Amino acid sequence: MKPQTKVGMMFVAALVLVVIFAFALGKVNPFSDAYELKLAFNFAGGIEVGSPVRVMGIKVGKVRSIDFNPEFKMPDSGEEVKLMITISVDKRAWSSLREDSKFFINLAGVIGEKFLEISPGSIDKTELKDGQVIRGEDPPRIDQLISQSYALAGKVLEMVNKNEGSVVETIETLNKLVLNFDNALKQLEKTSRDPEVTKIVKNLSVIMSDGAFFSQKLRTPEGMETMALINKLIKRLEPIDGPAIKKFFQEEGIKAKLF
Amino acid sequence: MTATISEISIFLSRSLRALFTPPYRPKDIFFQLEFVGWQSLPVILFCVSFAAIVTIIESSFHMKIVVQNDALVPGFAALLILRELGVVVSALLLTSRVGAGLAAEVGTMQITEQNDALRMLGIDPIRFLVVPRFIACVIGGFLLSLIANLVCLYCAMLVSEAKLGYSSGAFITGMRAFVSFQDLVFATIKGACFGAVIPLVSCFFGFRCKSGAEGVGLATTNSVVVSSVLIIFLDFVLTYVFSHFY
Repeated sequence: MKPQTKVGMMFVAALVLVVIFAFALGKVNPFSDAYELKLAFNFAGGIEVGSPVRVMGIKVGKVRSIDFNPEFKMPDSGEEVKLMITISVDKRAWSSLREDSKFFINLAGVIGEKFLEISPGSIDKTELKDGQVIRGEDPPRIDQLISQSYALAGKVLEMVNKNEGSVVETIETLNKLVLNFDNALKQLEKTSRDPEVTKIVKNLSVIMSDGAFFSQKLRTPEGMETMALINKLIKRLEPIDGPAIKKFFQEEGIKAKLF
Repeated sequence: MTATISEISIFLSRSLRALFTPPYRPKDIFFQLEFVGWQSLPVILFCVSFAAIVTIIESSFHMKIVVQNDALVPGFAALLILRELGVVVSALLLTSRVGAGLAAEVGTMQITEQNDALRMLGIDPIRFLVVPRFIACVIGGFLLSLIANLVCLYCAMLVSEAKLGYSSGAFITGMRAFVSFQDLVFATIKGACFGAVIPLVSCFFGFRCKSGAEGVGLATTNSVVVSSVLIIFLDFVLTYVFSHFY
């Protein structure tokens, strides 16, 4: 074999290996079948080019580019958003992405790898379009949260210092209240152990069950009928006063000393 | 000392002038490239692969001791192999194989007065001997570091699958977390720079060779030692320079 051939073979081998390496790193993917989306953020929480994009926790793409765009305004709301992140999303996951999908920046793994999480949208909304610009949810800034909580703690301390007397009074009152409540509970417990009370409760229970039995009986058709008859009877008896009843009994020949 | 420095600077300036002025001798360059690249490939691949295997097993061992977990080993072992190990080990092997050969060849030509014969024929020995070897070594160093690095990574992947229990997918995912494409680019630049050191040092010692078998032996030894030291030092310089690009 000629030296030229051997050297040529080495070049070809090196080229093939580089292509394989680039493919493994995800730099080149001739088999990729992906759409692109543009996400607008004001704070991107350390995401990088190449960070994975996940839908429902499954990797479906990656961050393609991050561009600073200070003059950009959201077309619908007019909000100024200064950072534009372009992501690619596989076609297989595309149908899960709807108008109401949310785009978060999230943290995972032992090394704290940053990734872009997409929450699936509801099925009745329309699908997103290739290359659409969407506003992402800015991640909470831990440093800001800490500084805010410092300020909050300072204010709480200040308030306590200012109203020390009244705070102590409030606590004492609360203490008394709790003690009273405790006493009341103890009394209640004592009472519940009294045999007389137990008897009363039992009797009440019997009365209640009797009442329930009675009202249940009343609900049957017979009961209803009886009620209706009694009702009718009372209505008929309404115009009849004392002398009339006397007269009636006398007419019937009943000698009674009812009235 | 001053004489040596002036000798070095004269040699380097003449080599550079010859390098940037035609005529070149493509046939000779290809012939040298075959010697530097093709013939060194098996031994370099063999050694570098085993170095990679040792690296990944050792890293796993250390990580298990330190943090009781070797989940990050595929990632950072791949990074270590790519940024340092593959390229430096292959350059040192290339020095011992090619550097020693070049120094002995040029040294023998020097003591048998073949270089003087070349001069008498109106041929510049530096243009005739150094330039093709220099070009071949730079290209060879570039190609060898590229191929060795990627074969190394492949071996590391196989071992992590067989020994550490990480599938190739897990290895590649771990690698992606740490390795970027510019690591490979910088590694190949290093490889080319190390390749450039070898012929310059070897030919310099070859041209300075004293007569006798002893002289040739000394020239060979010196060339290998100086090349190795220069490669390690250059590695530090290049790593320092490249660290500004991250």
